[in-house]
Amino acid sequence: MAVAEGPEPGAQTGRARRVLGSPSLRLAGRRLLAAILVLWGVTFLTYVVMNLLPGDAAQELLGANATPAEVHQLEVQLHLNEPFWVRYGQWLGDAFHGSLGTSVVNGENVTTILGTRLPVTAELLLYAFVGSIAFGVAVAVLGSRRPNGVADRLSMIVSMTGLSIAPYVLALVLIYLFAVRLPWFPAIGYTSLTADPFQNIRSLTLPAVAIGFPLFSIYTRLLRADIVEQMQREDYIVTARAKGVPPWRVLLRHALPNSLFGLITLVALNLGALVGAVAIIEPIFSLPGVGAILIQSINDHDVPVVEGIVVFFGAVVVVANLLADLLYTALDPRIRYERAAS
Amino acid sequence: MSALLPDLLAPGDPADAKREPRARARAGWARALRLWGPAGFLVLMLAACFGWPNIYPVPNPVRGSVLQAGLPPLSPGHIFGTDPVGNDVFSRILYGGQISFEVGFGVTAIGLVVGGLLGMAAGYWGGAADTIISRLLDVLIAFPALVLALAIAEGLGPSEVHVIWALSVFSIPAVGRIARGATLALRGQTFILAARLSGTRGWRVIVRHVIPNIAPQLMTFSLLGIGVAIILEGALSFLGLGIPLPEASWGSMIAQGQQTLSASPDLVLIPSAFLFATVLSLNLLGDALRERWGVR
Amino acid sequence: MSEALLDVEDLKVTFAGRGRDVHAVNGVSYRVRAGQTLAIVGESGSGKTVSCRAVVGLLPPSAVVTGSARFRGTQLIGLSDDQMRQYRGADIAMVFQDPARSLNPTMRVGSQIAEAVRAHRHVTKPEAREQVIELLRLVQIPLPERRYLEYPHQLSGGMRQRVMIAMALACRPRLLIADEATTALDVTTQAQIMELLLDLQAGLGMALMLISHDLGLAASYADEVIVMYAGRIVEQAPAARLFTSVRMPYTQALFEAIPRLERPAHSPLPVIGGRPPDLAALPAGCSFAPRCRGAQDDCRRAAPPLAEHEPGHRWACWHPCENVADAFGEPGRPVPRGNGDTA
Repeated sequence: MAVAEGPEPGAQTGRARRVLGSPSLRLAGRRLLAAILVLWGVTFLTYVVMNLLPGDAAQELLGANATPAEVHQLEVQLHLNEPFWVRYGQWLGDAFHGSLGTSVVNGENVTTILGTRLPVTAELLLYAFVGSIAFGVAVAVLGSRRPNGVADRLSMIVSMTGLSIAPYVLALVLIYLFAVRLPWFPAIGYTSLTADPFQNIRSLTLPAVAIGFPLFSIYTRLLRADIVEQMQREDYIVTARAKGVPPWRVLLRHALPNSLFGLITLVALNLGALVGAVAIIEPIFSLPGVGAILIQSINDHDVPVVEGIVVFFGAVVVVANLLADLLYTALDPRIRYERAAS
Repeated sequence: MSALLPDLLAPGDPADAKREPRARARAGWARALRLWGPAGFLVLMLAACFGWPNIYPVPNPVRGSVLQAGLPPLSPGHIFGTDPVGNDVFSRILYGGQISFEVGFGVTAIGLVVGGLLGMAAGYWGGAADTIISRLLDVLIAFPALVLALAIAEGLGPSEVHVIWALSVFSIPAVGRIARGATLALRGQTFILAARLSGTRGWRVIVRHVIPNIAPQLMTFSLLGIGVAIILEGALSFLGLGIPLPEASWGSMIAQGQQTLSASPDLVLIPSAFLFATVLSLNLLGDALRERWGVR
Repeated sequence: MSEALLDVEDLKVTFAGRGRDVHAVNGVSYRVRAGQTLAIVGESGSGKTVSCRAVVGLLPPSAVVTGSARFRGTQLIGLSDDQMRQYRGADIAMVFQDPARSLNPTMRVGSQIAEAVRAHRHVTKPEAREQVIELLRLVQIPLPERRYLEYPHQLSGGMRQRVMIAMALACRPRLLIADEATTALDVTTQAQIMELLLDLQAGLGMALMLISHDLGLAASYADEVIVMYAGRIVEQAPAARLFTSVRMPYTQALFEAIPRLERPAHSPLPVIGGRPPDLAALPAGCSFAPRCRGAQDDCRRAAPPLAEHEPGHRWACWHPCENVADAFGEPGRPVPRGNGDTA
């Protein structure tokens, strides 16, 4: 009666799994290729857009009073008169060799510019990112323990506020309340991490909240909805309760891991919007990050700088999406292992 | 077996007991309020912004006299005061609101139509079409769309129509992804298979079966999208790349007020309040509709 | 005459819906004795699942449960969730339908069973693992050490159901409720699982409640059968007696609906016309009257009470089936293999 159901007893455990791993390796390879393609697409699209804009860097640099001859001369000097494909090809070639070109505006090496400014932006984004996810998960878990209870309703109100408020509005309100009225945080300015860690955190807190609070709101709403849905609709939750598992464990060990997929997708999706948030928030707080110069560079037609920034953010998004895929695989064993017989 | 029980519960109702008739009546009132409250506010705002200036004369929003610059709220004749150039804040709020709603609806409409069609096509036909469209949407999503929006707005010159096109770069891929996902989920269902087996042509299936079923999801998502579009229009105007001064836009009003934040915060707070209230109402309405239509 | 292990008295369950109340269970009473196998049979919506979940407190908070359910003397209705958890998985265990959805897809099978053990006993992780391997052996899963580490999707349907049974047996329950435990399985596996359940029952001396829509299954494996319709018990008898002398027209119709090889080929399958009643708006008289072949005026006017008209055999019908021939309408047919004593 004990019919052998499932894989043959002869196959060995560890090796079988490793062999099964190689289709997923091929899958990872395909994903990587797609990611590189997307990244390339992003740079190309940026170049196209920048070139479609009327006027050019030479015009911007010399101002409105320049004669056409002067403009033309500068254009030749800056290689701006060469056809689009040549310029793009050159940029792409340089990029593969690790050089991102020089700023048209001030001749500085783009890599240097990014090198000094990226750490600021990166730290700000990390601060906002970690905070929004940590609080998002915590609040969602607390709320879903008792749907429509006190904690839940409160978190819904708070997150609804976060969804409805514009980051720039929030930034100004925060400045008014916590920098002008209550001198807890500096309104503008940045202190680097190496110079003074405490001041560093202080100078980045308000901007991080301005960026992170709307994110937190989206995350907590989605996660809470997913958890509640798992707890109410899924059969394995009933099984867990029928076993006598305590409610907190049912929530944290059963419902939560199965609810994270939506959140991971959303986080990866939202990263692209971060560049916009940074571009608006950094100038408000006078932070010397990449966001602060993005708009100015677009205005100045400083294509290499714009491209450099776009490449960075594009890479971040692409890497994040790859990481998200990896996380799916790690969390969901159905993706990891192929199905057994029947 | 859980399939049996949720049919007995109202969709979207977390399972809390509302047994006594009084409690249930209260819950019914609360539910109605959640829908009609925000809806009512939005109607009010729309009426105020579009209707009031045509019915009742308001001070000109752009040709204020410098002699009346910087008046505080509740000054005679200027209920919200005036800005540093002398324009009446109240009328600028109304006209700015017009811009916000026009941009919000415009962007969302374009997103729904273009994004919706692309997403449905990708989800329904799959294969090459899906791959191409998905990659395209991926690029648009990975692309710092703000750069594109800024570039468009800056390059084409700031104007309302250009802002709408620029912001559609956001709404199209967002709606497209949702539409594609919803269509894919629907495609697996038996009645779609039945329709296709009966020989119904592709577009017919889409129009008659796919659209009605994904419409609630898309509509509630789009309501949220209107709010996002309004905020983004504000952002562009805040950066000086949206609606050009001296025309009124809530975003540029906020940017202007930034300079006098400590001294007269109301120049920032008043347009911010309206912006917040409008977007909040849109979000609340979207939530209430989602609850009523049983959308996930 | 052993004392009742589970004594259910006038159990009622109502769900508060939007504007209307759904009366899923309308006064159900029965007793389960230690070591006994009781089958509860009914269509979807008859209330069989809801009534059992009500006993262990697994219904959503919108459910209102009244009545009494005594387990070894202790009243279960009205216990707090914490108190109820002492019983769930320990004294009273459940096995569900569709193990594909009833097992956590992201958790290893062994961990899930171990969780059942550690919810009620203080054992270390290695000790729990040992117990789990033993349980897997008990439910006849080959290579238990290997299965311990696998995920639900890596197992076949029959194996998953065995895992569910292992989980339910973790703390040697006195009562095992099998809610449509074999419905999602193919027929061969069904038989295997049922045999397993009966072996385990005999070996562990536990009571077994089989909930099913399959009357044939119930008649084959149960000592006593309860037939439910629209939230009420309409007939109850020892299995063999039910088989040989059906009284309730509904039960007879259920028997007739079982496909049989003896029927001539291509003959239409007898079905019960109409649809189950709307549980939010039950008719005044007998709930089955709209679909009953022998319905008469008094049936529609007043609901017949459930009464023990013959020793050990209860039914609720004004006009029960007259002839005492067996369910198939053929006299003298041998009673199929079953656990109960023959009438």
